[in-house]
Amino acid sequence: MTQHHDIVLQLDDISQAYDRHLVVRNLSLTLNQGEIGCLLGESGCGKTTVLRIIAGFEPLLNGTVKLNGKTVSAPENTLPPAKRNIGMVFQDYALFPHLTIADNVGFGLRKFSHVERVHRIQEALELVGLYAEHSKYPHEVSGGQQQRVALARALAPKPQLLLMDEPFSNLDVTLRERLSMEVRDILKENGTTALFVTHNQHEAFAVADRIGVMHNGEIQQWDGSHQLYHEPLTPRIAEFVGEGALITGTVKKDRTVESGLGPLQGSFNVDFPSGSAVKILIRPEDIIHTEDSPVTAEVLRRNFRGANVLYNLRLDNGDKVQALVPSHCEHQPGERIGIRPDVRHLVLFADS
Amino acid sequence: MVNTTKNVLPWRILTLVVLLMLGAGLWVATTKIDYTWRWKRVPQYFVYHAETMTNAPADGLVADIENLGEKTRIKFISETDDELFFEIDSTTLNVSIDEDLFEGDHIGSTFEWQAGPLVIGLWNTLWISAAASVLGLIIGMITGLCRVSNNTTLRDLSAIYVELIRGTPLLVQLFIFYFFLGTVLDIDRFVAGIFALAVFAGAYVAEIIRAGIQSIPKGQMEAARSLGMNVPQAMVYIILPQAFKRTLPPLAGQFISLIKDSSLVSVIAINDLTKSGREVITSTFATFEIWFVVALLYLVMTFALSQVISLVERRLAVSD
Repeated sequence: MTQHHDIVLQLDDISQAYDRHLVVRNLSLTLNQGEIGCLLGESGCGKTTVLRIIAGFEPLLNGTVKLNGKTVSAPENTLPPAKRNIGMVFQDYALFPHLTIADNVGFGLRKFSHVERVHRIQEALELVGLYAEHSKYPHEVSGGQQQRVALARALAPKPQLLLMDEPFSNLDVTLRERLSMEVRDILKENGTTALFVTHNQHEAFAVADRIGVMHNGEIQQWDGSHQLYHEPLTPRIAEFVGEGALITGTVKKDRTVESGLGPLQGSFNVDFPSGSAVKILIRPEDIIHTEDSPVTAEVLRRNFRGANVLYNLRLDNGDKVQALVPSHCEHQPGERIGIRPDVRHLVLFADS
Repeated sequence: MVNTTKNVLPWRILTLVVLLMLGAGLWVATTKIDYTWRWKRVPQYFVYHAETMTNAPADGLVADIENLGEKTRIKFISETDDELFFEIDSTTLNVSIDEDLFEGDHIGSTFEWQAGPLVIGLWNTLWISAAASVLGLIIGMITGLCRVSNNTTLRDLSAIYVELIRGTPLLVQLFIFYFFLGTVLDIDRFVAGIFALAVFAGAYVAEIIRAGIQSIPKGQMEAARSLGMNVPQAMVYIILPQAFKRTLPPLAGQFISLIKDSSLVSVIAINDLTKSGREVITSTFATFEIWFVVALLYLVMTFALSQVISLVERRLAVSD
């Protein structure tokens, strides 16, 4: 297996059930050294269970979990969490309230000498920019700082893999955005291999190299954020990731699709024979508002977003699309506005 | 601040007035029932000046009397020429130099302050409660941990113990410990009393500890385990220190109860404060005074304990 020497985490066909109800179904994924992976899905899709299986808190019904080539979880054989050298950041951080921040960070370093310990505590706290707070107690620092202490604590023992369970969900929106970028920088600087779960696609996009969209205990697509957004594998992923609408169309010759927006031309994600009925994914940024366009649509609803307005539009054939328009163009529901599609890559699904 | 003091003061005065009226009412009531208060008799049951008489051990002669100030040393030579020295309080000197003494003649006395029955009873109550508390805490800790254990047998056994003890009166348990276990295992009444109290308190402590452990979020255990600790280590370093802090107030209540419940051991003839009080009453007939004094002594003990515990609580509150 020399060609796989840089694979840190490998899940092979894992399944887990509670009360005979499968929460994880035949799930497989690999994560390479230094990569940040993300499991993205709605609550109850099994993403947290996958994380807990990897950490060793949950047994397995089927499949194997390998860490750097060594099997750590298999049915009837679960290596205790303490022996896995996996760092974990919990949703509520689970900082130890009775220990100072330095002691929290040093908690996983008991096997080291005092000098080494102090050095590593300082190193980890400096990594997250909190060394100045080391003698405080967790409740004395802000939520964002607690989050970074939790990260420093998990990173201090230099784990082979870092797991994060909804790491930003307890923070307010602005802090969440800033911290998610910071965390990515810290992990990249440290060369940490990490896997985190979230229900928030913006976090997934901001932090992860690879994202697995989970639904019903299965990974439906395991890809980079660009591919996930522009080349979704299923209509469900297309609608779950980002905004957009699916409109009906018919494939013609010369890579053209006839639709309510007129003929659309571009590269296809999948080849369809001429005459096939398809669904076409139209993202809001694919629609450009031009007054003199021959194609018009009726404004159903408008959602003011500051810099631009998201319009829900109805085409003449009844299909609905969304359009992102600069906010200086004011249109009210009921008005008809001219639109022009600007699509180069067509995402098509068979219309069943 | 100014506002609150303004509002509180009249109510404080009212509290005082109510208390004074209650006290006056009690006083009036007791004057009606022809009871002679004899508070003077009470102090001697705390400490008294005990006289130890020194008598001539045999026939002989007072050879020398040496005044040492408060004390006086007497050199006594018996007929068999044994030299003996006695030290007595100077004021009680009853012999003169060269005086011939017969066996049993009074040479002098020494006075010493000695603990009266109330102090002895107080001491017994204190150490019985302390011993039962420590033992009860140990029993309670072990049982509490068993209650949250993954092992079904440990869980069942601890649950049965807790239900058994909480479901029966302490008085009955004391009788069973003393009459049944005391006879079968041939144990001393003190041991039986302390064990009965400890086993009783242990059941309640176990429930307090269990609740404390379960009140710590599950993530704490998982965080400790993901940082390289096994379950027992995580329990000792992470869960118990936090649980201890949360359980301190209910534990304090439990040990205060234990001090009060220890009065029940008087029924198996242990000389605790309550039994001493009863004994003093039989010799003084100062029933009212002694019971008030006994109540006050219990109050002093429980109040001191609650003060100590609230001090510990404040110390531990640093990390909250």
